[in-house]
Amino acid sequence: MKTWMTAGALGACLLVAACADPDAEQRTYANSDLELSPSYRAAEVCSCIFVMGQDEDFCNRWTVANPNVSTFRVDHEKKTVESSAFMMWGARAKFVDEKTGCVFED
Amino acid sequence: MGCPIFTAVVLTALVLLMPFTAKAQSCPSRSDWPTEAWPDRIQETATRKAAEIQALEDYAFTRIGKDEERLGVRTDGVVIIHNGAIVYERYVAPYGPEKRHIAWSVTKSVTSALTGLAVGRGAVSLDDSICDHLEIPKPESCQVKLGHLLVFSSGFDWTELYEDKSNQASSVLAMLYGEGRRDMARFVAEHRLRDTPGTTFMYSTGESLLLASAVQEGVQKTFQKGDTFPWEWLFDPIGMKTAVLEKDAKGHFKGGSHLFATPRDFARFGWLYLNDGCWAGQRLLPEGWVADSTTVSEPFRTASLDAGSEPQGRKWWLNRPVPEQGLPTRPWPDVPADAYAARGHWGQSVTVIPSLDVVVVRVADDREEGAFELNRFLSLALAIVEAP
Repeated sequence: MKTWMTAGALGACLLVAACADPDAEQRTYANSDLELSPSYRAAEVCSCIFVMGQDEDFCNRWTVANPNVSTFRVDHEKKTVESSAFMMWGARAKFVDEKTGCVFED
Repeated sequence: MGCPIFTAVVLTALVLLMPFTAKAQSCPSRSDWPTEAWPDRIQETATRKAAEIQALEDYAFTRIGKDEERLGVRTDGVVIIHNGAIVYERYVAPYGPEKRHIAWSVTKSVTSALTGLAVGRGAVSLDDSICDHLEIPKPESCQVKLGHLLVFSSGFDWTELYEDKSNQASSVLAMLYGEGRRDMARFVAEHRLRDTPGTTFMYSTGESLLLASAVQEGVQKTFQKGDTFPWEWLFDPIGMKTAVLEKDAKGHFKGGSHLFATPRDFARFGWLYLNDGCWAGQRLLPEGWVADSTTVSEPFRTASLDAGSEPQGRKWWLNRPVPEQGLPTRPWPDVPADAYAARGHWGQSVTVIPSLDVVVVRVADDREEGAFELNRFLSLALAIVEAP
């Protein structure tokens, strides 16, 4: 498990480096794609399923991002979506009600 | 000769009543309002305008490439309102008349309306500093007023980029999904002021969210309705029953991006603006708010602009030339000059054309930059409502 995690972290670091835009001169934020991707996925898949009323397959395709490094899991009973990248970065969104839609839980 | 006291009382009463009479008269009179349902003239139009409908559908609903490649024009739904009735409506599965669609930046125009409602009720003023309504840790940011946020002239050092550009440079992605996501208003207001507020124009999702948050707090302070006023003052009165306005973890509305509703409900929002902010004879938006919102804003006319900027009012896109900014022609030349639109990422739009009594709603999933042309789409849509 430890070896797997180390390999995952190494892979993730390489991915971050690969995803960096060499031409960017602007101020940059501290969030790597490994943080942005699961939180985008959790929020938008949650809205896609519980607000827009679409199914998981559609929402999976609708939220494909570049780089596409996150997976997600839907709990229809609790109305939550958890998304993660390489088991190290993750986010969770919950459907609140018919006015508020989905909100991050973490 | 009549009684002078009686005459004076009657005259005084008339003078006192005049403002109310004038206000009531200022709202357009219509026999039907679509609060419950839109009158349906789809079949009648389909028979009369088959060729025009075919031309619109050939452009808007013909998909190219593999679905996962998301190339070309990818319309999910279109609703056209003319003279108060639906004359055209089509969806691509899995969308339909009952399914909500994300509005993305169409939300900004709704935030503009919510600001008008709060101003009209005295909950906020456009001269208020953001610090009058929000806890802002950076004193420098207190120079920014709600009026600046309404016309994209806060001066914050903001980078309005979306996905697939440079993710780490995008202020929008950092706010919605990154370091700013727990308290988005604070995240925006912690940016340094690159320019003096009021002196520049820069389209910004962050400014719209900050405005929505300040208005929400202002309404909470005055009426204790911060969480409910969008429904009580706007969505419910116009029958926009499917409206969902999402919040950040702090509880503030994501007023730059995350409104969801059905296309028919987005059309209701357009219909409110087409009717000068009135609904069923009642004035909802303050008198003059729609006119001010659809006039090219002062910062857009005078400040330096980014390449490709299109005329903006108070968070509405306008079909106006702005020659003083090197924009001598209208952005949608085949569409009447009085047209204006709420527009969002991936091709969402709610276009209002008062001179034709038309609202056109398009929801979409356009991912290929430059593939969709609003001017072409609108000119084809308007052919459906033109007299034979």
